[in-house]
Amino acid sequence: MGAYVYSIGATAAIFILLALSLNIITGYAGQAMMGHAAFFGLGAYTAAILTQTYGVNFFVALLLSMLVTGACGALLGLISLRLQADFLAITTIGINFVMVALFNNLSITGGSLGLTIVKPTLFGVKMGNRQFFWLTLILIVVLCLLIVKMRRSWFGMALASINNDAGAARSFGIDVSRYQILTFIIGTAIAGLAGGIYSHRMGYICSSDFAFVISIQILSMVVIGGIGTIRGPILGALLLTFLPEVLRFADDYRSLVYGALLVLMVRFMPSGLIGDNSPLVIGCKKLTGKLFAKKGGQKA
Amino acid sequence: MKELMRIEGLKVYFGGLKAIDGLDLTINQEETLGIIGPNGAGKTTLFNAICGVYKPTDGKITLKGQEVQGLPAHEMARKGIARTFQISKPLADLSILDNVIAAAGVHEYTGMRSYFRKSHTPEVVAKAEAVLEETGLRELRDKKASDVSLGYLRRLEIARVLVTDPELIMLDEPCAGLSNFAINEVTELVMKLKAQKKSIVLIEHNLPITMKVCDRIMVLSYGKKIAEGTPEVVKNDKQVIEAYLGEEDEE
Repeated sequence: MGAYVYSIGATAAIFILLALSLNIITGYAGQAMMGHAAFFGLGAYTAAILTQTYGVNFFVALLLSMLVTGACGALLGLISLRLQADFLAITTIGINFVMVALFNNLSITGGSLGLTIVKPTLFGVKMGNRQFFWLTLILIVVLCLLIVKMRRSWFGMALASINNDAGAARSFGIDVSRYQILTFIIGTAIAGLAGGIYSHRMGYICSSDFAFVISIQILSMVVIGGIGTIRGPILGALLLTFLPEVLRFADDYRSLVYGALLVLMVRFMPSGLIGDNSPLVIGCKKLTGKLFAKKGGQKA
Repeated sequence: MKELMRIEGLKVYFGGLKAIDGLDLTINQEETLGIIGPNGAGKTTLFNAICGVYKPTDGKITLKGQEVQGLPAHEMARKGIARTFQISKPLADLSILDNVIAAAGVHEYTGMRSYFRKSHTPEVVAKAEAVLEETGLRELRDKKASDVSLGYLRRLEIARVLVTDPELIMLDEPCAGLSNFAINEVTELVMKLKAQKKSIVLIEHNLPITMKVCDRIMVLSYGKKIAEGTPEVVKNDKQVIEAYLGEEDEE
């Protein structure tokens, strides 16, 4: 693959990680999260500061950035217990703005000048787009396997129950608060991991990389692809990473396009392009059902 | 009959509103207890206080001798108190079978540890299917809960209760909003549970059904117990008649 493909592939892979992590919070647990970029940024700055200022190994820094963002996610989870969905959405938007303001003003984050990051080495080789692409791809595969396992476990059943009706979930023994906090921890920790990879891949970060529009972009990926599935956020992240490359001439209107897409999808296709109840998936299921029925009929 | 639950001096206040005001009640094992009373009497509040949805303002609730008042709803469920809801609460996006399996995991939801245990094991699925058979929902096992009628949802709630192997079954108006045909089906199901010697507390506005099903009835009015006894005793109680029909005008 060419350098350009690796470059854009690495970006897409990072956004897939982000979309999958947001999907755990919003898609599986049903929590309104509109400030995911804050945790993406927190992970990015934490990993960058650890490697650049304290000389911590890149991979150790990734783990520590997950811990830091996960801990902050736990705090948000605690806050979420006292908030209804719409207020939680507003709170998370606020957190995004506060975090950006902090990134922009603290000296440890380089203030408005941002941070320059020396790229790490892997087996003595300086990591480039290619290495970051494969590293992130491996992490995506691992994450997808973990999500599949989660959905087949009692943990997944608890999230599905909470997402449908928290009152009913409590009535058969589910500690809703504990699961809400856990999903915030898991989702934000993965966002922190994506941030750590992002900052070291880019070599330079500044506060605007984690602005509210990025949160909307990640949310758009989840909603457009199909919330509550694994394939949906992956497709959404791929589409919204590659489309701007094709439509570069409309770059100034990116926020407008994301906003319009979100509104249109929620209004006309709430299950997303390939979500469980999307017309495309239902059509495919019907078609495969007919084909199998036909085959069965022929045998008979 | 052996005592299962004892409620002593239970108070549930919402600011100045005394929804339950100093209630004493005993629930026995293998007994079907009916709770009746006019609208706003505090029946569902009592349910919610027993199930841990509301924290009692004062009073004591003991389950098999163990104090349980104030425990959260999920802990009450784990202790064996299972309930249905006045307004059905199906897990709408899940199939009927998955709704029952979700409830079957009552002792499995232990935070992060639950990640390592598979939900749809052959034993759990078999148990859920047996309950679906018992409640007459087997044919609908793969249907989404959002696609079935209210009558089936009422039965689904009972199925979710049964699969938890509860100590105490609490049914909150299981016949509300149903057609006569569906009411008969749900009543038959409750009678079946009674025949199996389950411990049941039933709130029901349909008095003929309550009289038919229950061994004992307690009448609530404005958060206080005004009568308690067999259906025959309660039916002829002056205070009960007044609470339901109003006092006779002296003029």
